[in-house]
Amino acid sequence: MKRFVLTSTYNMNVRFHNVSKRFGEAAAVDSLNLEIADGEFVVLLGPSGCGKSTTLRMLAGLEDADAGDIFIGEERVNDVPTQARDIAMVFQSYALYPHMSVAQNIAYPLRVRKTSADEIERRVKRVAEILEIGNLLRRKPRELSGGERQRVALARAIIREPRVYLMDEPLSNLDAKLRVLMRGELKRLQHDLATTTIYVTHDQAEAMTLAHRVAIMRGGKLQQFAAPITIYHEPANRFVAEFVGSPSMNFIEGEIDVAGRQFASKSLTLSLNESQLEILKNYQRVSLGIRPEQITVSTVEQTGWLAASVYVTELMGNETIAFLRIGEERLIARAASEFRAAIETQVWLKIASDKALFFDADTGAAIR
Amino acid sequence: MRQNRKWQSLKYLLLSIAALASLIPVYWMLTISLKTDADQLASPPQWFAFTPTAEHYRDAFVTRSFGSYLITSTIVATLSTLCAVVIGTLAAYALTRFQMPVKANRRLSLWILSTRMFPPIVTIVPLFLMMRDLRLINTIPALVIVYTAFNLPFVVWMMRGFFNEIPREMEEAAFVDGDSRLGALRRIVLPLVTPGLAATAVFCLIICWNEFLFASVLTQTEAAMTLPIGIAGRVTQYEIKWGVMSAAGVVAMLPILIFALSVQRYLVRGLSLGAVKG
Repeated sequence: MKRFVLTSTYNMNVRFHNVSKRFGEAAAVDSLNLEIADGEFVVLLGPSGCGKSTTLRMLAGLEDADAGDIFIGEERVNDVPTQARDIAMVFQSYALYPHMSVAQNIAYPLRVRKTSADEIERRVKRVAEILEIGNLLRRKPRELSGGERQRVALARAIIREPRVYLMDEPLSNLDAKLRVLMRGELKRLQHDLATTTIYVTHDQAEAMTLAHRVAIMRGGKLQQFAAPITIYHEPANRFVAEFVGSPSMNFIEGEIDVAGRQFASKSLTLSLNESQLEILKNYQRVSLGIRPEQITVSTVEQTGWLAASVYVTELMGNETIAFLRIGEERLIARAASEFRAAIETQVWLKIASDKALFFDADTGAAIR
Repeated sequence: MRQNRKWQSLKYLLLSIAALASLIPVYWMLTISLKTDADQLASPPQWFAFTPTAEHYRDAFVTRSFGSYLITSTIVATLSTLCAVVIGTLAAYALTRFQMPVKANRRLSLWILSTRMFPPIVTIVPLFLMMRDLRLINTIPALVIVYTAFNLPFVVWMMRGFFNEIPREMEEAAFVDGDSRLGALRRIVLPLVTPGLAATAVFCLIICWNEFLFASVLTQTEAAMTLPIGIAGRVTQYEIKWGVMSAAGVVAMLPILIFALSVQRYLVRGLSLGAVKG
């Protein structure tokens, strides 16, 4: 994407204050409190049905909030119609107008505001250049590939220079390679535009790579709102820990033995250090979480390492993912690309227990 | 393949038979309208070799008032189609896009459709009495009102289907872009349902054009008579004036034929729109 500079005269933060929405009996969004700073790229992340799309649509004005206040800047926008909120949205299906050419699609927001024809032409050209779709202006949407359609949808969004950009899973309909490519382009675009952007996705990789801050939601409730790296290393609860990171975190159920200074599960025991014992001293049953990259595997026996058998290995090329079994427990470990082990052979693994995270066995909340 | 060729020829044979079955009466009517009275009853029937005459056309349109029947039919059909399509389309849009309380959308749609479920003849007497009290008997407005009324459910039901094909996201994108609801309807939705509109309009026109029952009850003098009434009136108590009837029939057939042919490509698109995901 070509480099350009856009000076925004707005100072646009977005705020949700105790926002709720019900669909029939179920609460789609439950007392959401969220503050998004001006120019920030925030990703709403979560599984299907967690309320992230509903939240986005409430901000757009396509759904009404049942309770709470939504602010764009200083203005309370609950009763402001969609047309007047000065936002732009990229839909999952792009929602391009099929009977209009690409140029007409992009020009639509300006045409509706009765901008002069010369001005429209100038701005459409500029935006098309930025997104490198200048040669497609006369085509109709059905003649374009998925990636090209997505760029047209983006062009239509940025031509107006709105206060906030909303994106509802814009990369979901692209193939894997294109998705990774467009991820980078989007991040760069947002950086150049410097406009507040709210992005909805269920793909944790997109959230981790694109966001300044990630808001993870589940069942309509906000689980954690922090920078990607914080969410990765300091998840607020078990759900967040499990959702972020691929392959996902390993969880072992067990008990704390304060006297023996160890964590004991059905199949293994791990010794705990001072700081860990300090925070865990009042707990009995906990879940231990350890990420795959924190487990080292070896085909050679090592003293003090745990014995495990190989369930299956995945050779990714740049690394090997090993699915292991200790007794009844299953663990996933990341190994170097040279690691080879046949199914059901014995290997030895070392768990970096000082990096382990602990969660309450009943509530799932992180123990810190 | 051998098998395929056999089925193909069988298919074409059946299609040809069907085409002939529908076209031969039309051709016969055309020739009757151009034959003298004597030639019409000739035995064996003369299919091609006869001297054409324009006397029946002259008789119908110059001597008698088929010209006025034609004009009346045109006015009534066009006006009522226009009214039905405009009102019905807006109603269908409201039914598909706006959420009404207690699931009224579905019930309302079914109720609208139900008005077409009983035989129209059931409403003849009440309508006649209503029109008489309004002093509209034997006028064009009476026919327009009645035809609009019984075309409306059809238009609503058809357009509902076409509107349901348009994804809501498209209008939502238009709202986010700054357009009002009516603007989005005008600029985005209507251009996309044009095939459906064309198909619906053609059907309405054909229904109005061919309508006999209500016209026969609501019109009494030639001032307001439509073509079907006029043509049927050629069956007098003394003789059946085939020649004039056929001439009128040919002229009655032409406008609809031309109109349907001109919107034919929209018709095909409109009728198969549901099958393809746009």
